[in-house]
Amino acid sequence: MAKLGPGQGLGCEAAEGSLVPSRKREYKPCGKHTEGKRPLYAIGFNFMDARYYDVFATVGGNRVTTYRCLENGSFALLQAYVDEDKDESFYTLSWARDHVDGSPLLVAAGSNGIIRVINCATEKLAKSFVGHGDSINEIRTQPLKPSLIISASKDESVRLWNVHTGICILIFAGAGGHRNEVLSVDFHPSDIERFASCGMDNTVKIWSMKEFWLYVDKSYSWTDLPSKFPTKYVQFPVLIAAVHSNYVDCTRWLGDFILSKSVDNEIVLWEPKTKEQSPGEGSIDILQKYPVPECDIWFIKFSCDFHFNQLAIGNREGKIYVWEVQSSPPVLIARLYNQQCKSPIRQTAVSFDGSTILGAGEDGTIWRWDEVDHPSSRN
Amino acid sequence: MASSSKASDSSSQRSKRSDQGTGREAAPASVVPIHGNLTQLIRQIKSRRLLYIKEKLEANRKTLQRHSCSLFDVAAAAEVASRGSDGGNALSQRAAEGQFRLAGSDLAHGIGERDVVYMQEENLASGTLVLSSSGAAAQRTVVRFVKLPLVERIPPYTTWIFLDKNQRMADDQSVVGRRRIYYDPVGNEALICSDSDEEIPEPEEEKHFFTEGEDQLIWRATQEHGLNREVVNVLCQFIDSTPSEIEERSEVLFEKNEKNSGSSDKIERQLSLDKTMDAVLDSFDNLFCRRCLVFDCRLHGCSQNLVFPTEKQPYSFEPDENKKPCGRQCYLRWRGGFQEIHDVGLSGCATYNMESGTVSHKVDVSIMSESEDSNREKGNIRSMTLVGTSGSKIISSVSAEESTTPPSADTSETENASSDMPPSSLRKYKISKRGPRYRERSPGKRQKVFTSDISFASNILNKLSIPEIRDTRLESREPGGDKLQILDESTKKTSSKDICGESPITTTENMGIESKKVSSTKNFLEHTLSCWSALERDLYLKGIEIFGKNSCLIARNLLSGMKTCMEVANYMYNNGAAMAKRPLLNKSISGDFAETEQDYMEQDMVARTRIYRRRGRNRKLKYTWKSAGHPTVRKRIGDGKQWYTQYNPCVCQQMCGKDCPCVENGTCCEKYCGCSKSCKNKFRGCHCAKSQCRSRQCPCFAASRECDPDVCRNCWVSCGDGSLGEPPARGDGYQCGNMKLLLKQQQRILLGRSDVAGWGAFIKNPVNKNDYLGEYTGELISHKEADKRGKIYDRANSSFLFDLNDQYVLDAYRKGDKLKFANHSSNPNCYAKVMLVAGDHRVGIYAKEHIEASEELFYDYRYGPDQAPAWARRPEGSKKDEASVSHHRAHKVAR
Repeated sequence: MAKLGPGQGLGCEAAEGSLVPSRKREYKPCGKHTEGKRPLYAIGFNFMDARYYDVFATVGGNRVTTYRCLENGSFALLQAYVDEDKDESFYTLSWARDHVDGSPLLVAAGSNGIIRVINCATEKLAKSFVGHGDSINEIRTQPLKPSLIISASKDESVRLWNVHTGICILIFAGAGGHRNEVLSVDFHPSDIERFASCGMDNTVKIWSMKEFWLYVDKSYSWTDLPSKFPTKYVQFPVLIAAVHSNYVDCTRWLGDFILSKSVDNEIVLWEPKTKEQSPGEGSIDILQKYPVPECDIWFIKFSCDFHFNQLAIGNREGKIYVWEVQSSPPVLIARLYNQQCKSPIRQTAVSFDGSTILGAGEDGTIWRWDEVDHPSSRN
Repeated sequence: MASSSKASDSSSQRSKRSDQGTGREAAPASVVPIHGNLTQLIRQIKSRRLLYIKEKLEANRKTLQRHSCSLFDVAAAAEVASRGSDGGNALSQRAAEGQFRLAGSDLAHGIGERDVVYMQEENLASGTLVLSSSGAAAQRTVVRFVKLPLVERIPPYTTWIFLDKNQRMADDQSVVGRRRIYYDPVGNEALICSDSDEEIPEPEEEKHFFTEGEDQLIWRATQEHGLNREVVNVLCQFIDSTPSEIEERSEVLFEKNEKNSGSSDKIERQLSLDKTMDAVLDSFDNLFCRRCLVFDCRLHGCSQNLVFPTEKQPYSFEPDENKKPCGRQCYLRWRGGFQEIHDVGLSGCATYNMESGTVSHKVDVSIMSESEDSNREKGNIRSMTLVGTSGSKIISSVSAEESTTPPSADTSETENASSDMPPSSLRKYKISKRGPRYRERSPGKRQKVFTSDISFASNILNKLSIPEIRDTRLESREPGGDKLQILDESTKKTSSKDICGESPITTTENMGIESKKVSSTKNFLEHTLSCWSALERDLYLKGIEIFGKNSCLIARNLLSGMKTCMEVANYMYNNGAAMAKRPLLNKSISGDFAETEQDYMEQDMVARTRIYRRRGRNRKLKYTWKSAGHPTVRKRIGDGKQWYTQYNPCVCQQMCGKDCPCVENGTCCEKYCGCSKSCKNKFRGCHCAKSQCRSRQCPCFAASRECDPDVCRNCWVSCGDGSLGEPPARGDGYQCGNMKLLLKQQQRILLGRSDVAGWGAFIKNPVNKNDYLGEYTGELISHKEADKRGKIYDRANSSFLFDLNDQYVLDAYRKGDKLKFANHSSNPNCYAKVMLVAGDHRVGIYAKEHIEASEELFYDYRYGPDQAPAWARRPEGSKKDEASVSHHRAHKVAR
């Protein structure tokens, strides 16, 4: 399959954001929370369940921790889970929800390549999925069907799992698959059959499960052993985009557009134009660029609030850039920094309404910023 | 969008043009105004682009908002669902607890802007986590760890796809010349770098792709200032492209605009029938693999050289006389007529014979259309009336009858005499079979005629069934049989009467205008000939190649629905005649058409091969066929034998000489070569009658080849369970044991955790020494590619490369089968062997000794010195590795 590069030349320019903060929203630092010495690789709010919008989790080392964001600027420590394998290092987490009893599930995975599904209501390990041949770099949950998760691994595959029945439904790898570690995946917000993946082969791939949706439905009603499920290989993506020239370590859908970043100090918003009849063909139009200074190391991920109004990304020096992601040209809302924060921020978490921004630092610290004159914080 | 922008353009264009006019007068070198003008235009285009992005984002924002709201509904639904149920909101409960626990922190908040710092302390011994805050009020929260029980991880592997057959690497999978970036896992973020090698190919002179904006720029500039060097040079400053490309583009744009403004009449799509067969077959020739008999073969690739075997399959030539007419429009029913028409065509003079032929032809058509009526009763009545009316006319046209019938009778008789007389039993069979068919066509009528007029006919005649008699007359070629000739005059009379009965109108009409008739038939013939499209002509020639001059088979199999058998036959004769007339070919006019036909065919064929050979080479870029610069003689690790040489079929037309690529490469010619069976370079297979071809006595086995049922004398395969009939057994039920790879008769292999390292392959059932276990499949890559990949794999410390032959290395890294996980051992229980199976080298894994069920499989990878991983190295002081050939990567090699 041919890789598609972006159009270049006159009339294909991207709108680039300016680094002068608009100060549309003001944030103030609200303390730090040192979890330990091990780097925190992921942090995330639970957007899967309206009851838990103020609950977030972190992973670092062999530990998974859940907190609640308190309105006074502090955290409440809720639960802590420790893998018995001391050498495990969790890289990613994602919230999910059991589709039967609705209990909050926390899915975490890392260097061992084993996906851990924790039921936070009962504080017990619900399931462990073994199958990936190497470490897992990212897990995402399908928001429309919160018991479907997708995992990106170093074994060059992306796999779709049903958390409820523990079935590996589809494996996205093979002839048209990634040629190196897969670093990031994300479900399309409205098209349930579509997702994007990116990785160390410098490409972003858009996949469709349309022809295989039968198996997804089947996975819900499977009563036999999960290992007996007829897992299918999906070998060809719908589109392969060569937007970046280095590792692509984070990708997120913004409506029908894609936000992706490499190690080039910027996030790129581009439109994938796919052709329904002929997969592999189409074109790529780079629309906007969001500069992020000092962001040239890999495995730095960004996040958005629930409605995708603002995007927060950390950088190598511990600063966080908050972009108004849907305005054109992009507007930088704020640059958040803390004198004490010097180590890279690997992942951020933006609360439901964007009033709280969290950063997970490599030094094992959670940093928190709250909006100054936000109505909720004023009360 | 384009239209709206154009509209806005035109207004500004007009205003600009007026300034431009003055500007040009002032400065003859109009560079400055062009420059300013273009800058302005560029600014316009850019702002329009920003506007476009803004609009797009706004539209996207609206749809996204809708979706995120629906996502919110999904998230909120969980809350609604859990309300009322007692188990719900467990986390909030805990959170409330937490808040309670941290009640004191409100004080900290009260202090104001000072940061609150929380510290956690893990107490692994007690399994608790202690949270303390260093704010104003010191406080501690204790949370108990929940342990995630240990799950044993599986050995690492890269996701791979199962292959039951080797595949050639697709061009987009190559790592040669690609930048690859490594990050040192130890030094964390250190960029180690790309291919340091010199081999990164220079970026090709990429053709500039003009965007819509650039097109606009060029268009505007050339419209206003004309296409001259100055303008192009200025454009070059704005567009990242060469002047020649810009010039070219402006011409393209000019043409495009011309087309848009000009008449929009489109050229009608030509019917597919107008294409030649070469064009139609193009995709077939390019996609169909003649070795694997599949489309889009992943092993041999597309656009292979077309090899046409010198030896043609002999077509069974059935004499016309033995054939049954293939249908209503079969030429067999009109053969006499054709013969005559053809003669006419040649000599150009009219004869009675010819006339009668055409007449009968026409009559039959009319009758048939009549009797085609599905209603048999009705047909009966109609034909009866026809006979009735014609009966009355007989008298009036006696003279015509007299003049036309005798010659036709003559021809029939001569025909009969010349044709081979089939034995009467056979004829009977034929007749009885044909009888009903004819009866259906013109039911009743004939019976009527005969029952009234020849009631005294002999029993034999009755046996023969009445229509047969008609056949003798109508088709004139039909062997009336000796018995028919015995018939007395009265029968002949009836039959001749019958003619008139059917063709009263035509015969009478024909009287006196014979010459005109001749010319009209000639016209008719020419007309039908010219109606042959290129595709039909090509199909016809193909048909001649396949079936010989058998118009029935050609019409049915190749021209079904396009041309009738009769038309084919017609074409065949006239085409032959035309050939004969060609001055260059000094064939006798009496015409051995077969000869000319053959000649024509061969010319055509040769031309075709040449065309395709050329095209094949051009398009072969997709797959590398050429050897990657490795010398043919190359040592293999282990023993001093040569590398196997990749076989490519030769296209030699006759005997293979020194120029034959097979001879040059030192491979045998195989069944896929173009050369004849008697080619001296051909591998002739074995004649084994014992030992199941599993010892070195079998020439195939000795040459590391599997037996081939197409080549070997006694090696054969039966299909299915025999319910469809057994093939003729060869060699007294000899069972060849040297076709396991070909027939995929492999053992069940299991995948599991190895006792040595990582994954391992295990056998399910016990096997004996030298039993075939399975194939080591993978991607076929070039040696150059393998060197590159080897370097990458060495970093991952896992290699699945296997040297196959002088051109290819098998890579099972991403595609392969379970046997790729069989580990190395210097004291193995299996061995690998490269076998030539139907022209392809394949790797079979065989048992070196008796292996018990569920034992792990090992074979000797034959690592080069210092290549083996630590666990695979032989202990010091053991037998020295005789491998001395330098080999830069850890390859597996067959013995």
